[in-house]
Amino acid sequence: MSIAVLGVNHRTAPLEVRERFAHAAHEVPPALERVLRAGAGGGVLLSTCNRTEFYLAQPGGTVAEAVWELLSERLGGGGAAQEYGYVQRDRDAVRHLYRVSAGLDSMILGESQIQGQVREAWQVSRVQAGPVLHRLFQSALLVGARVRGETGLGVGTASAPSAAVALAEKIFGALAGRSALILGAGDVAELAAGCLAAEGVQVALVASRTYERARVIAERLGGHAMTLEEAWDHFATADIVLCSTAAPHAVVTWERVAPAIRRRGGRPLCLLDLAVPRDVEPAVAQLENVFLYDIDDLQAVAAQATAQRRGEIPAAERIVSEEVDRFWGWYDGLGVVPVIRAFRDRLDDLRRAELERALRRLGHLSPEDRAQVDQFSQALLNKFLHEPTVVLKRAARVGHGYGLLEALKKLFGLETGAGR
Amino acid sequence: MPTLHLVALGLYGLAAALALAPFAGLPSLSRRWSVALPGAGALAHGMALAQLTPAGLAPILSLLALFLIVLQLCCELLLRATAVALFTAPLAAGLVGLALLLGLAPGVEAAAGSTVWSVLHVTLSVLAIALLALAFVSAALYLLQFRELKTKRFGQVFQLFPPLERLDRLNYGALAVAFPALTVGLLFGVGVRFAAGVDVAPAQLVWGSFTWVVLGWAVWARVVRGWAGRRAAFMSIAGFAAVVLVYLALKLVEPGRERFL
Repeated sequence: MSIAVLGVNHRTAPLEVRERFAHAAHEVPPALERVLRAGAGGGVLLSTCNRTEFYLAQPGGTVAEAVWELLSERLGGGGAAQEYGYVQRDRDAVRHLYRVSAGLDSMILGESQIQGQVREAWQVSRVQAGPVLHRLFQSALLVGARVRGETGLGVGTASAPSAAVALAEKIFGALAGRSALILGAGDVAELAAGCLAAEGVQVALVASRTYERARVIAERLGGHAMTLEEAWDHFATADIVLCSTAAPHAVVTWERVAPAIRRRGGRPLCLLDLAVPRDVEPAVAQLENVFLYDIDDLQAVAAQATAQRRGEIPAAERIVSEEVDRFWGWYDGLGVVPVIRAFRDRLDDLRRAELERALRRLGHLSPEDRAQVDQFSQALLNKFLHEPTVVLKRAARVGHGYGLLEALKKLFGLETGAGR
Repeated sequence: MPTLHLVALGLYGLAAALALAPFAGLPSLSRRWSVALPGAGALAHGMALAQLTPAGLAPILSLLALFLIVLQLCCELLLRATAVALFTAPLAAGLVGLALLLGLAPGVEAAAGSTVWSVLHVTLSVLAIALLALAFVSAALYLLQFRELKTKRFGQVFQLFPPLERLDRLNYGALAVAFPALTVGLLFGVGVRFAAGVDVAPAQLVWGSFTWVVLGWAVWARVVRGWAGRRAAFMSIAGFAAVVLVYLALKLVEPGRERFL
């Protein structure tokens, strides 16, 4: 085993488990240090909200135990992390990272955020990565970029918040400078408002039944807080209204908002209702230039994009396979050179020993004749070694050198001392 | 001359097919093609028109087609409004085909049409008509996208058409440029009458005045009254339809392929 990945992800562990395994950037070097002490040539820790994975080069026998022990400690309560974990080795480990980087292993197929997270993990672990993992992570980023560039895997909007942004963009174009009114001050409202703010939307107002909570979020997003009763008049000016209150019935009713919307002068209003049960009375959508979308609509937009992306999986997997072969060719090549050198040295030692013995018996030969015999033995050895050397190098180039090298080492008792 | 027109016709036809392909379930080609095909067509078309006097029905239809394609390219490059080609590319291909069928000889207006006054009058007036057509196209796209967003269909129209506000801005811009272009174009027409001493046909006078009034009304409604969105889109469509219908009516009264009107 020469490259391995050990970890947990959104398929193997629920959120409450994954969040315990998540490592902040400052926690990564000590965690890796601890694992590498157990015996590995290099390591990178990739930790996001959906996965925590240790990528290890030349992992020794007790490294896996060290990883699971470290994660189990974070799990607490005497739980065993390996119950949620998986291990991939060699080509499978390389393929796994390439699929992760391409977004093929993401919760939202093809999402691009993971590319940045892989880059960040590599940068944070740079000192401890070692040459093989450096090369592996560098190539993983290129694979991610290639998949996104050559396939439609990253096209469209595949999550509800990004669908909300896409819908607003289909009405307003660029969202920078647009104003938003947020009704509700829960986590969902805050998350969606954060997505809009990331697109340059000015979150001007936050309204909630509990003024204090609205004030906290408004301060965080750079807006003003108000109560719900004060919000209706602002339907005349806001471009986007995002609703996510915990009210058991519709709070945005025709009677409350129609007078303000009529004062808009034909400007469109995008109403995003993320609440369940819904916050906005369906009749409000009948108002001129009002575009109302609820959570089902957002999920429909996201599902459509996901369906389109699924069609791109075979093309993306083909690219990943090509790149795994390319990396493995390079990686196999690393092991060939020292083995071939040891093989040649071993046979040359034999040649010298036999030549010396033969020349001792042929004492009558002139110095010129002795040189001729020496030359002959060297030429013969080169002829014998030529074909195996070529075959080994060729096998390494296409990623099949590992088995041959192992056989050669065993047959000739070679100790190269050169790990990859 | 017809060869270059035929080349332009072929390329515009391909551009139209390219624009329509996603709606037939075919994959859309890269943006490079939606610039290269009409761009190459416009180049051939421009070379063909440079050898023609802009007088008579066929050359003016051909000039109108060229302006439509140039405006389509501007929309693509400046606003990434690829969907404009859905209307402009087939329309331009149809106009070039019609011009070829009518015969590209300048006809009886050729002598008068060769003066500078006449060239400027025709060029600016045809540009204004092309811009009015672009306002119509952007309005039609606006209404289609509006319906898609209101009814939450999220189909090809939603995916491929530009955002509503961008289409509204395009409509505003097209009308705002068309009106002064037509005004100056008509003033050059007065120059043709008095400087070159060419008589103006009553039909030309009627249609020119009518189009100027329609455009002026549209610009007034948008700029002064602040009309926007759906109301402005309906106005643009009605205005363009009225201008085309009046032209066809006048052409029915005085048919003939030699004169534009």
